[in-house]
Amino acid sequence: MWVMPVTTNAQHDVPALIAPWLAQHPGVTVRVTVLDWESGWNKITAAAASRRGPDLLELGTTWMPAIAAMGGLEPLSAAQLAEIDNGAPYYAELWKTTQVFGQKGVYGLPWYADVRAAFYRTDVFRQAGVDPAQAFATWESFHAALKKINGTTVAGKRVAALAYAGKNDWNVVHNLAPWIWNAGGDVLSADAKHSALGSPQALRAIDFYSSLAVEGLVPSNALEKDSDILEGAWVGGDYGVIFSGPWLLRRIFEGPVGSVVRTHFDVAPYPAGPNGHATFFGGSNLAIFKGSRHKPEAWDLVKYLGGKASQVQLSLVSSMMPARIDAANDPAWTSRHPVYAKLTAIAADGRAYPPIPAWGPLETVYTKHLGQLAELSSGIGDPYTLPAMKALIAGTVVEADKVLEEAN
Amino acid sequence: MTTVSEPGLGALASVATAPRAKRRRKFDAFPYLLLAPAALMMVIVNLVPIVQGLRMSMLKLNQYTLSQFMDAPFIGLRNYRGVLFDPTNPVHSGMLGALRNTALYSLLVTLCAVSIGLAVALLLNRDFPGKAAARTLLMLPWVVPTYVVGTLWGFMWQRDEGIINHVLVDVLHLMDHKPFWLIGSNTFFAIVIPTVWRAWPVLMLIFLAALQAVPEELYEAARLDGANAWQRFCNITLPSLKPVIVIQVMFQIIDNIYSYNIVAMMFGKGAGYPGEWGDLLMPLLTRQSFSYWRFGEGAAVSFVMMAVMLVFVAVWMRTFRRSMTDEA
Repeated sequence: MWVMPVTTNAQHDVPALIAPWLAQHPGVTVRVTVLDWESGWNKITAAAASRRGPDLLELGTTWMPAIAAMGGLEPLSAAQLAEIDNGAPYYAELWKTTQVFGQKGVYGLPWYADVRAAFYRTDVFRQAGVDPAQAFATWESFHAALKKINGTTVAGKRVAALAYAGKNDWNVVHNLAPWIWNAGGDVLSADAKHSALGSPQALRAIDFYSSLAVEGLVPSNALEKDSDILEGAWVGGDYGVIFSGPWLLRRIFEGPVGSVVRTHFDVAPYPAGPNGHATFFGGSNLAIFKGSRHKPEAWDLVKYLGGKASQVQLSLVSSMMPARIDAANDPAWTSRHPVYAKLTAIAADGRAYPPIPAWGPLETVYTKHLGQLAELSSGIGDPYTLPAMKALIAGTVVEADKVLEEAN
Repeated sequence: MTTVSEPGLGALASVATAPRAKRRRKFDAFPYLLLAPAALMMVIVNLVPIVQGLRMSMLKLNQYTLSQFMDAPFIGLRNYRGVLFDPTNPVHSGMLGALRNTALYSLLVTLCAVSIGLAVALLLNRDFPGKAAARTLLMLPWVVPTYVVGTLWGFMWQRDEGIINHVLVDVLHLMDHKPFWLIGSNTFFAIVIPTVWRAWPVLMLIFLAALQAVPEELYEAARLDGANAWQRFCNITLPSLKPVIVIQVMFQIIDNIYSYNIVAMMFGKGAGYPGEWGDLLMPLLTRQSFSYWRFGEGAAVSFVMMAVMLVFVAVWMRTFRRSMTDEA
């Protein structure tokens, strides 16, 4: 079984998670191999191409369609689908990621979820006299709130309004996508054959998002950092707001007991744009490898890990959100701290990318070009202008369409 | 000059060649047997991947045909045409900028690393207390692996928290504001400086070894003739080091054209694109062929680069052939 480092000690935690299942299957041995997100992709694609690999594996939601399209995964049978109520227990957007866009077949189960939300400092908002409920209501109110909290001094420390990363970060697209969706745009056309970043709605979202940096609400030094460093800086009290995922909770609660952020933070949904307040929904799925010689046992284990009890247990050790709706509403998860229940509520508006096999190359194209928005809005070199931004996006669309053309 | 036509030696040569001609008829397989394992390894390690890569460069090998691997559709030279001449080809995108950066980067890094290496070697080529310790300490940058260099300098270049701006602005007061190094055109220097920092110590060591082989008598004679330090450097040191310098410059240029680790570690957390002024050929090749899953086109670019490098090495060797031998 190949897994990603879902917890800080996955080599110990995943075997502990499957221990009850193993107790019921005394003749079965499971060897857990923990990959890392950097090299995992190469190892999995090599396994898929050679048909030699594990019995079951964890796949990022955006990876699954590519590996399925390569013929590397075993599709679930009608009987297997019936056993799990055709995916009804799982968030519909996550269930979508177990399939390939425009094709029939389901290739696994959602295992855990990455849902994005605004993490904000309640003490900073209070000091600046900003009502959080109002602040995260609309883009306009969010913009006004950021202006108000920017530069607020709390406990002798000057706080910048918002942090988001620039070009050197894997979250570039995930950070921007909710703004595009909420403006009524999308990252792909409805038939998933073309990039939709050039639509007026998407351009409006990109302009709004970039303007936050142009106006100094995102300090320019944040743009040279990655998400990991910025999250650490937010926990350290440098920023008022950061958009992040449930793993940040682990960082907050595992931090020093007396830390200001630990006792003065809350989460909120993305500010609503003209089209609502959707958020990015990602995470990981479990699938059976096509070349597995133990498919019945692998399916039994996948089913076990996709069950409610197992998902709740994993979420408690990992801080990643359960992919099952009932597990995400289980008191063991929601009663840990009020923010967990809020994340569950926010997940109702979660949205995943269309599960196209070409998402990997497409995301690289998007990350490369959209990362350059940071250069443009940093104030170094040519100033940010709407035509300059549109020219950048036009170049992105050309390259993205070329990548998609090959897929169609 | 000694030739076999000189009296005495010619006779010796004819005596020596006559029995050799007879021996040639008898084939001795033993040396070939000794060489065979090494030759076989060379074929396995070098020739097979090259031939396989050449074939890959003529296949439509992407994520949709990867499972067919070498049986993917054969498309002749279309990959080469695409990456070299098609402006809409994703692998071609940004190639001119990366070519410009790679050329400037290679020249600048080579020039600086060779100059610093030579200068420090000259300083160390004299006796002073603690010389051995100094030489060892100066080698430290070279001991650091390139991927660690990229990661560390990535932190050091940060505008507000990085130590470089702290030293430049707060300590030395060389600038009145802290510049960005990882955004904008300064990105170029952010990759050049760490590369030079890591490259010069080993050059220093090589030059120092070469300097120690220069006969001291030459310097003594020059001093007696009234030559000053600059004249001794230009007329004794440089000509003596010329074979080493020519070879090392060639190695440096090749290394720097293929440079990857420092850029990848400094800017590899996103798409691996450092921006207009930081992109080099190898990171571009990795990103836009392998991250885009265009393996056939990636192989084509690799072969183009290999061909260019072979031509460069051939021209360099031909131009400096005499300088690389004692005939200079």
